[in-house]
Amino acid sequence: MVVTREEVKHLGWLAKLEMSDAELQRYTAQIEEIISYLNMLDTIPLEQVKPIAMKKKFSELRKDAPENFEDAVLGTRYRKDGFVKGPRML
Amino acid sequence: MPLPLYTLEAGQVVEGIKNREFSAEEYISQLLGRIEKVEPKVNAFVTLNKEEGLNRARMLDKKIRDGEQSGPLAGVALSIKDNICTKGMKTTCASKMLESYIPAYDATVIKRLMSAGAIIIGKANLDEFAMGSTTEFSRHGPTRNPWDISRVSGGSSGGSAASVAALECTASLGSDTGGSVRCPASFCSVVGLKPTYGLVSRFGLVSYANSLEQIGPVGRTVSDVVSILNVIAGSDENDHTTINSNKPTYSLQERKGLRAGLVMEFTEGADPGVSKMIYNAADTLEKQGCKCEEVSLPSVQYALASYYTIATAEASSNLARYDNIRYGFDMNPEGYEWNSYFAKARSNFGEEAKRRIIVGSYVLSSGYYGKYYLKAHQVRSLLKHEMETLFKRYDVLIGPTMPILPFKIGERIDDPLKMYLVDIDTVVANLTGMPAISVPAGFADGLPVGLQIMADQFAEQTMLDIAYLFEQAAKVQRSSEL
Amino acid sequence: MATTTKIGLEIHCQLTGAKSKLFCRCSSDYRGKAPNANICPICAGLPGTLPLLNQKTVEFAAMITLALGCKFPDDIAFYRKNYFYPDLPKNFQLTQYNAYSITSIGVDGKLEYGNGKDARIRRVQLEEDPGRLVYASGSMDTSVYVLIDYNRAGMPLVEIVTEPDFADPKDVRMFLDKITSIIEHLGVCDTKLEGSVRCDANVSIDGGNKVEIKNISSFADVEKALRYEITRQRTMASREIQVRSETRHWDDARKVTKESRTKEEEQDYRYFPEPDIPMVLLGSEFVSFIRQSMPELPDTRKERFMSKYGLSAHIAQVLIGNKELADFFESTLMIYLSPKEIANWIVTDLMSFVDERQKKEEDKQYLLFAGLKVGPEHIADLARLVDQETINRATAKQILGQIVRTGEMPSALAKKMHASRIDDASVLAQAVQSVFQKEQAAVHDARRNANVANFLLGKVMKITKGTADPKIALEMIQKKLKED
Repeated sequence: MVVTREEVKHLGWLAKLEMSDAELQRYTAQIEEIISYLNMLDTIPLEQVKPIAMKKKFSELRKDAPENFEDAVLGTRYRKDGFVKGPRML
Repeated sequence: MPLPLYTLEAGQVVEGIKNREFSAEEYISQLLGRIEKVEPKVNAFVTLNKEEGLNRARMLDKKIRDGEQSGPLAGVALSIKDNICTKGMKTTCASKMLESYIPAYDATVIKRLMSAGAIIIGKANLDEFAMGSTTEFSRHGPTRNPWDISRVSGGSSGGSAASVAALECTASLGSDTGGSVRCPASFCSVVGLKPTYGLVSRFGLVSYANSLEQIGPVGRTVSDVVSILNVIAGSDENDHTTINSNKPTYSLQERKGLRAGLVMEFTEGADPGVSKMIYNAADTLEKQGCKCEEVSLPSVQYALASYYTIATAEASSNLARYDNIRYGFDMNPEGYEWNSYFAKARSNFGEEAKRRIIVGSYVLSSGYYGKYYLKAHQVRSLLKHEMETLFKRYDVLIGPTMPILPFKIGERIDDPLKMYLVDIDTVVANLTGMPAISVPAGFADGLPVGLQIMADQFAEQTMLDIAYLFEQAAKVQRSSEL
Repeated sequence: MATTTKIGLEIHCQLTGAKSKLFCRCSSDYRGKAPNANICPICAGLPGTLPLLNQKTVEFAAMITLALGCKFPDDIAFYRKNYFYPDLPKNFQLTQYNAYSITSIGVDGKLEYGNGKDARIRRVQLEEDPGRLVYASGSMDTSVYVLIDYNRAGMPLVEIVTEPDFADPKDVRMFLDKITSIIEHLGVCDTKLEGSVRCDANVSIDGGNKVEIKNISSFADVEKALRYEITRQRTMASREIQVRSETRHWDDARKVTKESRTKEEEQDYRYFPEPDIPMVLLGSEFVSFIRQSMPELPDTRKERFMSKYGLSAHIAQVLIGNKELADFFESTLMIYLSPKEIANWIVTDLMSFVDERQKKEEDKQYLLFAGLKVGPEHIADLARLVDQETINRATAKQILGQIVRTGEMPSALAKKMHASRIDDASVLAQAVQSVFQKEQAAVHDARRNANVANFLLGKVMKITKGTADPKIALEMIQKKLKED
């Protein structure tokens, strides 16, 4: 087995994705197929090729000048005294 | 009987309004009428911008009457893929997770287009968060191919291509991560361009895979696509991945004496009907003075694995912010513990989004970084070197945009891997950051086939030269009356 | 029972010296603003936004790197640390990571911190601060919902990680004082601001398992937390209970380390490079630029105080221990150049007037001399008066005691005091004159018998009702006796 149901469930926990048993069943099979396909990358001996990377100069970075964003940013209506209301921590 | 206004190309619209042959209001009204007529069949739009569109049209008419300057795209009606932020206008990415999201800012490309006088007529349908090749993963239903509404329009920018092909707008703006502009352009017989990575600002493009994607124009002609590219291209201080250089301008020119390499791996992997059209296209090019020779790009065999590793990895992280706390859809957080709230809110992602998040988390997880992610990046380098070597002898590389003809809606939806395989010809340009364009090559069994033309980084002009040359010679039908 | 203790530190320092946040243009001055009044689409994690790296923060982080003797890589990169939490707008933190290749701004440094001791610096990196969670009912346990303020989200942090080179909490304290002195002299962080510097620690004894201590709110508490934890581990060892490798929280109220709530599953941060931030080239030109333009480090300043001004090592150390003192000293020198005299006045006398509270770490909110009404000009003036022998040292101390409350210039006060002395002198002369006239017989005797002068003194004291200065009065009497 390339990917087990338990692994998919754990990844779901890591990614905060709630999946029903039926979904877990269906996805595990599909994901297994996909990962098997991706495994072909393992067959390439590519250690000598350096990954390409775009580089920036220090002088091209953003200058440290503050600016106030005037418009409303947050889209939730669950607020209290300016704070955003979120679910409880425990 | 004159042709309806909605059949006009961008250049004709701008001229016509400027010369007061017709008003912008007339033009937009006709389009809205056309939309009303064909939308039930096509389903290209998520949101329509009727009132605001007409208002802007009226404002433009007043400007013309007052003799004021109007921009290079004045009066042009655009559909905008619904993953590009438009201030004050709902931007949903075809997802429940952004059901009621109204951006607080305009994407840079939107600002530039509006300054040029363009009018946004609506937001175009897409696969959820741009993840898909058929627009079937949209919660608003699939967009149908205007040439045969039982078939897919392609994706993920299906709404963009279909709205252009169905004459619902002058042109469109889509996004291309693995072929999402070129694929639907090919399936809908219109022109779709993916610029060099870093040419067009991504500020305001809702990220799916940020090292691969670019915003790109869709139009009925190469000329329209060039007009839009000229407005949106150029460095942006709000996107540090854009290249710092002078603002580029592209022109239309038919250049003879160029050389094209026909990528064997693409033609050999395509359906016979498709490859036949491509060989015909090569013949057409030869007749126009562009030499065509078969070439090989051996690393293409690893391209899809590399693409789906990188794209899902980046997506799994880019989509993490959708926890419904700051924006999203209405769900009261009170009564929940935070892990449960997050999981419950995020259960509203569609199937394909969930799958990609899981696969992406897998390839990035502890111990697998070298096996998948690093290897995938090394494939990018390998492909880039192979293509750069070819570009020393050839000006462009050509082949089919899609290996297959547009298929029936629902045909591949239950087989994710089968679906992924249709991207084989398009992902190479995203992996290498090089520009690529799809131009209509003709019809096979009555269904559209697209010719893909790729060039070296920042060699858009060369690519456009061949595209224009081919377009003028091939004269393929661009719009479906429906 | 001799045990070997190994302590390592993870210090977070907010770059309050930068004017904007790490990746967006929001002001870095978020303290005291209404909740969510200091945010923008970028730091709030809105869809479609991209991080824009702040040039100043790279400069500041590079200065810290140099000050700690670290090496620079050729270029730096940012990584995503992926995990979910309500204070994290993107549900990943942008940080730096060295597991695959060196991408953080500094590695492999060393800092001498006193008593000939030094500690190795593993790395220096830039990362962003998350938002802030507030509990409506006051505690995490009882609140039915959490309140989130994103004003702090995106603030630039420099993280300094040391090797476990400390053997004693006292050494840790010395090291942290040194770090504070350095970052203040560099001007990158105002350590007096609440929460601007934080420190987590890890400790193990006798080669046992390492325990991480988090949630220590100030540098002052680090020593306390470490002492508690070391005692806890020693106690366990003496009972032959194995110390578990874990993360414990410092409970500030009860002054103990507590077990963290156990998590059901294992976290995996899935680090990968941030595609929206290209690698930033540093290079030798950049390093030279930083070296040239950075402010003087405290150690360099101390050397300069000793060699240029001839101050003792002790006095110089006290001055640079707090940048405010060193700055006050040099400002005073600019008015009147008398280094040793001035240094003494500041370190010994002026400091004695500073509220004891100001000196204590925990309440170090305001400038040292905030409660005093004297500035460099006062001390310069005072030193000049003493040097020119216009007043003696005792009088000078007296004057200082008064002017710290009134803000009056020393020379003005000295004039007043001298004038009143003159006034006293003329009154006294009259009294002596009067006594000489009344007690002519005694005066005649005093000329032959010196002791009789005391009788005359007694009369002078009686006339002046005891207010005369007897020493001065006697001098006057003896002088007058010689005259006639």
